[in-house]
Amino acid sequence: MEAGSVATGGGRSKLERSPLSGLPDKVLRWGLTALAAAILLLIAYFFVRLYSEARPAFAKFGVLGFTFDNNWDVSKDVFGALPLVVGTLITAAVALLIGVPIAVATAVYLVELCPTRLRQPLTIMVELLAAVPSVVYGLWGVYVLIPKLLPAEKWFANTFSWIPFIGGGTVAGPNYFIGGLILAIMIIPIVSAISREVMATVPVEHKEAALALGATRWEMIRISVLPYSRAGISGAAMLGLGRAIGETIAVTLVIGNAPQLSGHLFGQGYTLAAVIANEFGEAASDPVHRAALIAAGLVLFVLTLLVNALARWFVVRAEKTGGSRVAEGMAG
Amino acid sequence: MNDFKENYMRKLLALAACAVMAITVAACGSDSKSSSSGSSGGSAKSGGSINGAGATFPQPVYDEWGARVKDKDGLTVNYQGIGSGGGVAQFTAGTIDFGATDSAMTDDELKAATKKGDPVHVPSVFGAVTVSYNVQGAKKGLKLDGATVADMFLGKVKKWNDPAIAKQNAGVKLSSQDITVCHRSDESGTTKLFTTFLAAYSPAWKSGPGVDKTVKWPTGTGAKGNDGVAACVKQNQGAVGYVEQAYALQNNFTTADVKNKSGQYIAPSLASTSAAGEGIKVPADLRFSAIDAPGAKAYPIASATFLLVYKDLCKAGKKQAQAKSVKTWLDYALSDGQKVAPSIQYAPLPAPLLSAAKKKVAGLQCNGKAL
Amino acid sequence: MNAQPASLPGVSPRRRRTDKVARVLLLSATLIALVPLVLVVYYLIKKGIGAWNLDFFTTDPSGRFFGDPGGIRSAIVGTTLIVGLATVIAVPTGIGVALYLVEYGSESRFANVVRYFVDVMTGVPSIVFGLFIYIVLVLGGVAGGFAGWKGSIALGLLMLPVVTRASEVVLKLVPDSLREAALALGAPRWRVVWKVVLPTALPGLVTGSLLAIARAAGETAPLLFTAFAVKATTTNLGAQMNSLPMQIFSDVRQAQDRLVERAWGSALTLVGMILLLTLVARLVQRRSRLA
Repeated sequence: MEAGSVATGGGRSKLERSPLSGLPDKVLRWGLTALAAAILLLIAYFFVRLYSEARPAFAKFGVLGFTFDNNWDVSKDVFGALPLVVGTLITAAVALLIGVPIAVATAVYLVELCPTRLRQPLTIMVELLAAVPSVVYGLWGVYVLIPKLLPAEKWFANTFSWIPFIGGGTVAGPNYFIGGLILAIMIIPIVSAISREVMATVPVEHKEAALALGATRWEMIRISVLPYSRAGISGAAMLGLGRAIGETIAVTLVIGNAPQLSGHLFGQGYTLAAVIANEFGEAASDPVHRAALIAAGLVLFVLTLLVNALARWFVVRAEKTGGSRVAEGMAG
Repeated sequence: MNDFKENYMRKLLALAACAVMAITVAACGSDSKSSSSGSSGGSAKSGGSINGAGATFPQPVYDEWGARVKDKDGLTVNYQGIGSGGGVAQFTAGTIDFGATDSAMTDDELKAATKKGDPVHVPSVFGAVTVSYNVQGAKKGLKLDGATVADMFLGKVKKWNDPAIAKQNAGVKLSSQDITVCHRSDESGTTKLFTTFLAAYSPAWKSGPGVDKTVKWPTGTGAKGNDGVAACVKQNQGAVGYVEQAYALQNNFTTADVKNKSGQYIAPSLASTSAAGEGIKVPADLRFSAIDAPGAKAYPIASATFLLVYKDLCKAGKKQAQAKSVKTWLDYALSDGQKVAPSIQYAPLPAPLLSAAKKKVAGLQCNGKAL
Repeated sequence: MNAQPASLPGVSPRRRRTDKVARVLLLSATLIALVPLVLVVYYLIKKGIGAWNLDFFTTDPSGRFFGDPGGIRSAIVGTTLIVGLATVIAVPTGIGVALYLVEYGSESRFANVVRYFVDVMTGVPSIVFGLFIYIVLVLGGVAGGFAGWKGSIALGLLMLPVVTRASEVVLKLVPDSLREAALALGAPRWRVVWKVVLPTALPGLVTGSLLAIARAAGETAPLLFTAFAVKATTTNLGAQMNSLPMQIFSDVRQAQDRLVERAWGSALTLVGMILLLTLVARLVQRRSRLA
């Protein structure tokens, strides 16, 4: 039987193609390729333009000088971003210390221990934390969190003032701690979601094996789930860190906007993102200031890039070596 | 199943297409009109819409003028309070129609602005920078001199019952609360006026943070705009901050009586603000500061605030209709506006200054021709 | 015959206790994570609902210092228009790039590079997008100074990687067998994409786009110096335009109580809009046969 004998009412076999029929396919393919290439060019231009605008600042102060000098002085046109970098790191550290354990614990609970009926609603509620915009968290932080936490912060600073970073200055309303706390709340949904995804991929056999050997629920989690998910959870924490570093509006409303190194947790500070938001309207016609702000943006960008690359590496490692972790966990 | 999907997809596409069309019509339809015939509701006499940005110091009076000029001429004035630094920067960059700054442009700023044309300073009103505080039990009128205020902002005077304050306020019970300083985080003409005053009475301030639109504040919380500092003072017990009079009035702040050049402790008021403007000598380009005025009744931290425009608006990039609208705004500011200002405690310009300002506005041009 | 297995040791009381303590801690952590959500919603409603009245939604901020502060109509209209334009820009582009990556790019090196850079873009802080557009379009003087459409582009840049990544995941889930069946019936590639792949993935694409829109609607930083702000309601995307996040950001720093109340009311409105979008997205996801 010839293939060409499959006939339709029109006379030409459905299997034969007219010479032009390949055209829409080619158009689609090259159109989409062009689109992808255009996006790539746009992203490349983004980097290149930012770098070229930031260059005057790096030229004037040196890359290390700009990033690590402790002197952000707008009036004298001297820009050393150390207070900003430190502020960014302090708030991010507080965010991680508070946010990651809670997020991971939440993920463990939702995946392993939660009654089936409650799982959906609770999961949705945790994800809703991500639906609240940054400016609303800032509003809430200024008018609810700061006034309500101030007495507790003052008590804490007084009681534990012998710990180096805790005591040593008056407790200000807006400060590093509140900044970090708000960031912790903002990163919980993303860290929790990714941790949940990672934990859901733990092979059932591993968990059943532990249970079959007589482990309690918690021991099973400790032996089978957590070691297996360790790399993935680290990746999730890194992604949360990336988010915390780049957060602008909520932070600038609650951190005090002081371009200094306050030596204590409850002092006012500044972050790279906040300084850009606050100062770039004024830098339009001052080339040095403008270059400095863009350089700050570039430093911020490079930081998030590094952190995200690290996160990706962790997650990829997790996918590859998940199995061997279980053996480690069982031995431990 | 296919039918359902087809249907669903068709409905979704139709909805999306409607949305796209609506947005495109909205964007293009009003793009074709020049922005000067934009959103003027109500009685559109000459219509038009202009954008300005800058100091928050005069924002209350500019907002009030804006509302009135809309009723009178149908002109919409969009004013954004982004600070004097932002006002000068955006004015220089040409993104707005007029700028506003409390401190006259420095020589460097002037040079940068000459790229687009000849910048003109038009003084609009006099205002006062109050030293506002939020201390339990403290009444209005705490007596403070320049050196003490400087020490408070330097962080040297840390508590409200410090001897330096108590010395000037015999018989007043002072709380032992910590002083929380509220200052600006953005570039501010108000800051420049305030620091000019501080530097006049405190060598430590002069050699330390110095005089500028933004300084390295030794202590305190930074907030954006006069409104932000007002909020900071309001929210923190024991706070002290510097805000324009109108903001202090709005929020019922207790304000300090500040010692002036003649040695009198003066409260900020319309009268003492006007007194600061009397008898000042003003240079031809109208760039001046009235801080630490010599008058006996003058409030020492009062000065004029400026509107910035280019002499030839059209050469600087504005359309003729836009330029005309800007002149309407300036004309209003220097005529009816002067009568409205006192109602919100801004002092009108003294007569010689007013006529000099009017001359400047009369000299504005569009491509060489008078407006 | 099997020997009787030795009985396993019972669970010691210590281990039982550890188990119980761990369970309680994990449950508490989950509840702690939800406390901020509850508090935010509680205060939003408590402080924001008082601001809601007809005037709130139908008048513009008056800007008057001593008189009536006005409502937030211009902010609502502005957000709708700016985010709408951003969606029109970002969603088709994002889906297009995702289509490229899935249909034509599974092996190619070029596609991997594109995928990597799009991934990188998801991590860029939103303020950096705003800064980029400010420098290139606003200071560069492209068609005037501040403009609503420039804000839309900044938001679009933000949405693009999110839409692309979500769409790629969904498009990958369309079974190859469906594609192959269509191809075997003689359909050209474009028809397979148009009639089989896209319709099957549609609910997932819609979900991803709605979530990206919800995210963009709440962003302030990209609009700070692109769309800037005005008080009056305007539909002219070629000029400055107000938006809900900018209105909230401006009101939150004020000292006047009624302006702060307006901030809460605007925040409640914004969160309401975002929750609505998120809800619709999840409902659409439920109807998808792929999820």
